[in-house]
Amino acid sequence: MDTTQQLQHLYWRAGFGPRPQDVAAGLSPRKALRQLLRDSAQFEPLDAPSMHFEDPLGAVMAVPPGGPMPAKNPVSTSMVTTPDQAPATMSGSPAEAAPPAPVAALPARQPYRMGPGGVPRLRRADLTPEQRKMQNQGLREAFINISTAWMDRMATSPAQLREKMTLFWHGHFACRVRLPGPALSLHNTTRKYALGKFPDLLLAVSQEPAMLEFLNNRQNHKGHANENFAREVMELFTLGRGNYSEQDVKEAARAFTGWSYDAQGNFKFRPQDHDEGPKTFLGRTGNLRGEDVLAIILEQPAAATFLTTKLYRFFVNDTPDPARIAPLADAFRKSGYDIQDLMERMFSTDWFYDPANVGTHLKSPVELLAGIRRTLGVQLDNELPLLGYQRALGQVLFEPPNVAGWPGGRNWIDSSSLLLRLQIPAILFKNADFAVALKQDENDIAPNLTRADRTVKPTAGAHLPLGPLQQLLGATPAPAQPARLSEFLLQTPIRPENLALVQQAAAQNPVPAEALRNTLISLMSLPEYQLS
Amino acid sequence: MQRREFLQTSILASTLLFVPKILHALDRGPGLARLADAPGARRLIVVQLGGGNDGLNTVIPYQNDLYYKARPTLGIKESEGILALDKGLGFHPALKGFKSLYDQGYLAVLNGVGYPNPDRSHFRSMDIWQTGSGSDQNLSTGWLGRYLDSGAPGCQNPYNALEVDDTLSLAMKGTQRKGLAFKNPDKLHQLTQNRLLSKVSRETGSDHHHAQVDYLYQTLAETASSADYLYNKSKVYKSAVTYPQSEFGKNLKTTAELINSGVESRVYYVALNGFDTHVRQHEQQQKLFTDLGDGLAALADDLQKNGQWANTLVLVFSEFGRRVGQNASNGTDHGTANPVFLIGGSLQQKGILNDAPDLANLDQGDLRHQVDFRGIYATVLKDWLGADDTSILGTDFERMRGLV
Repeated sequence: MDTTQQLQHLYWRAGFGPRPQDVAAGLSPRKALRQLLRDSAQFEPLDAPSMHFEDPLGAVMAVPPGGPMPAKNPVSTSMVTTPDQAPATMSGSPAEAAPPAPVAALPARQPYRMGPGGVPRLRRADLTPEQRKMQNQGLREAFINISTAWMDRMATSPAQLREKMTLFWHGHFACRVRLPGPALSLHNTTRKYALGKFPDLLLAVSQEPAMLEFLNNRQNHKGHANENFAREVMELFTLGRGNYSEQDVKEAARAFTGWSYDAQGNFKFRPQDHDEGPKTFLGRTGNLRGEDVLAIILEQPAAATFLTTKLYRFFVNDTPDPARIAPLADAFRKSGYDIQDLMERMFSTDWFYDPANVGTHLKSPVELLAGIRRTLGVQLDNELPLLGYQRALGQVLFEPPNVAGWPGGRNWIDSSSLLLRLQIPAILFKNADFAVALKQDENDIAPNLTRADRTVKPTAGAHLPLGPLQQLLGATPAPAQPARLSEFLLQTPIRPENLALVQQAAAQNPVPAEALRNTLISLMSLPEYQLS
Repeated sequence: MQRREFLQTSILASTLLFVPKILHALDRGPGLARLADAPGARRLIVVQLGGGNDGLNTVIPYQNDLYYKARPTLGIKESEGILALDKGLGFHPALKGFKSLYDQGYLAVLNGVGYPNPDRSHFRSMDIWQTGSGSDQNLSTGWLGRYLDSGAPGCQNPYNALEVDDTLSLAMKGTQRKGLAFKNPDKLHQLTQNRLLSKVSRETGSDHHHAQVDYLYQTLAETASSADYLYNKSKVYKSAVTYPQSEFGKNLKTTAELINSGVESRVYYVALNGFDTHVRQHEQQQKLFTDLGDGLAALADDLQKNGQWANTLVLVFSEFGRRVGQNASNGTDHGTANPVFLIGGSLQQKGILNDAPDLANLDQGDLRHQVDFRGIYATVLKDWLGADDTSILGTDFERMRGLV
């Protein structure tokens, strides 16, 4: 495997793919990794007014009364996919399995609740259908703005590793809520600690209102535990099944009682709702609180193994290799769970560049789309279709299927999703003008063409600057260009018969720019393009 | 370039040429497109009511005062044309199609179906129903996908489980095998058509490094051959039966045409959405139930005319029911247990199979479930499809003996 291939592999795994100029720069993989770490050092929150929803009508985030036993909110939530009939509360998660209550009657509802600053606000349940519709529209737009802004960063930000890590944690701490504010807050917390110390990340995420809501910790009361958060924090976030007992779940749930949030969306510990009794958790006894439980969890070697395995599967190979994972997990734990240190080690091993790990990762829908944009420098007039493709392909940001996140791997591929994936390049790049024509002096394919003939045409507002590709191709003669571009676009060697097909497609059009367009679309339409 | 022209010359179609020979041999061999125990093999049609159908206004306890107390304006009165059944229950007036199926002995109602610790989130509860998990488990495969994986007879190809939609539901995704989703056979065929397809491809080695590549090519090959098969088969029969003029009606018609054409599929999956009736429930249910009842009655009629009804079973479910008490907007909010309908030409037990939900014994205003939905899955898997329900569902759920 030559240096260029190694470099491309690193850019695909630690980010969203190489740009032509990255390959042309020709750094050694080691230098490139250092550069990636440097470029990802800064934390810049994702935020803009358009990502927030200021409800002119009333609060939608339920705020419990101060007592330890709030009345159960009977109203629950809606799929984001059918929001125009959505009921109240911020969460995409259910009301809890309620503590046993002798009374079957519904609690009387107050028409108003106190909002921030003591302003009474209407309850969502009391809104007219039109008001609800308006509200849902506002919520949807905010989510669209968050998603597209993040997709832009994946495609364009120099902080490639931070973006990729944030996507990993987005699936790891999978959470789905109705309100954009708490979702964005959780996102920025994972973004902030994405390369930091895992204990900080875990505590911060656990105290995010979105997570407390999603995993029902607001229904976890002294004397009436709700075990959802306690269970998932161990099963999915830290230890994995088999490394804790049902009794540990019960005790941990008691420790998390009192973890809640206020009307402004800030974490709030409610001492009167916290179970002060002694608890025995993973062999430790005391009046444990939530923070103690998280700390005890991270003392377990199983936590480092679990997390390292999950990272290995995401960044290296879907089939874990315990022999390679064990020393990494050990170092991870010894470093106080320093995520950046772990990633640097992982990307610095010889086996990371082993052919068995190259071109074997099935791109997730988000990786596929962000990768097309990044590697080709595509500019889009309208990003909404991309969200449509994400949905059709089964990965909508901020809408994981459940708390376990996206299963990934071959799960992405079925007959219909594969057909759509293979067509996306053609859909994107058919029958529209490229924003950039080949420059006369860069065009050594056929220098005497008119400008019109040098303009490549893809689609519907997707603009493809050809300069960088020209830089990559350098003096490569036209017949050899398909092969050169295949090395850039595909992470597995192109089959000779496929190369012949691509060459045929290129030859169908005598205009060099058109030939180049055909070459690109053909290469990206190969099944191999689904792999990185 | 015209779209059509593009598709014919597209690389996508051309790459099918290069599916490794060994896969072609598997895929295009004679006799593979045949169910092991066809003809007369049993099939299942799953109808998913998306959004959480209000079961209490579907199968109405119209002789129970508590029902009207909880729903002063939303409760449906006998005088509005409730279609009386048995045990003090009646269908919603718009479910005339269901009533006719019931009268012919083709319909069974299971009341109060749900699961422990019910979840009131649409997407999570649908996930639970589609995967067949408990509310405390997160599975990444669907119950029908695992049925495909289980190697039950006649589940060797994607077209052995078909979803009439553009994308495939989780329910139909197994680890090894997945169903096939498409809106109509012609469109699918056009995408994968290539006149060179029959040319023999060059052999390519298959070391583990290329396992993923082979997997993609194999999926593509299976898709292409399934598309071929469905396209050619589906030309056999065009339905003359009148279906509702709706998306759902059209999808049921497609389903019946595939079945009557002799397509050897074990599972069909069709969805009808819009049941999230927080407001104006009356109008919405009226429309949806007309669609649902008339559509399934037409399907039964269509299949009967072609001798395919006796080996067909339809399972109708929704991710949850609604709360017993109505809300302030003449609608209902998310609830728990709900009726499930089994419809088919060979039901052993028909009509109302168990007691009406107990409105005097609620859990915080919600129904308590009487039947675990996975018991129904187990019954369908084992007694109808002859599959190993225990391994597919991961646990041994109590089956309903002598039901199907």
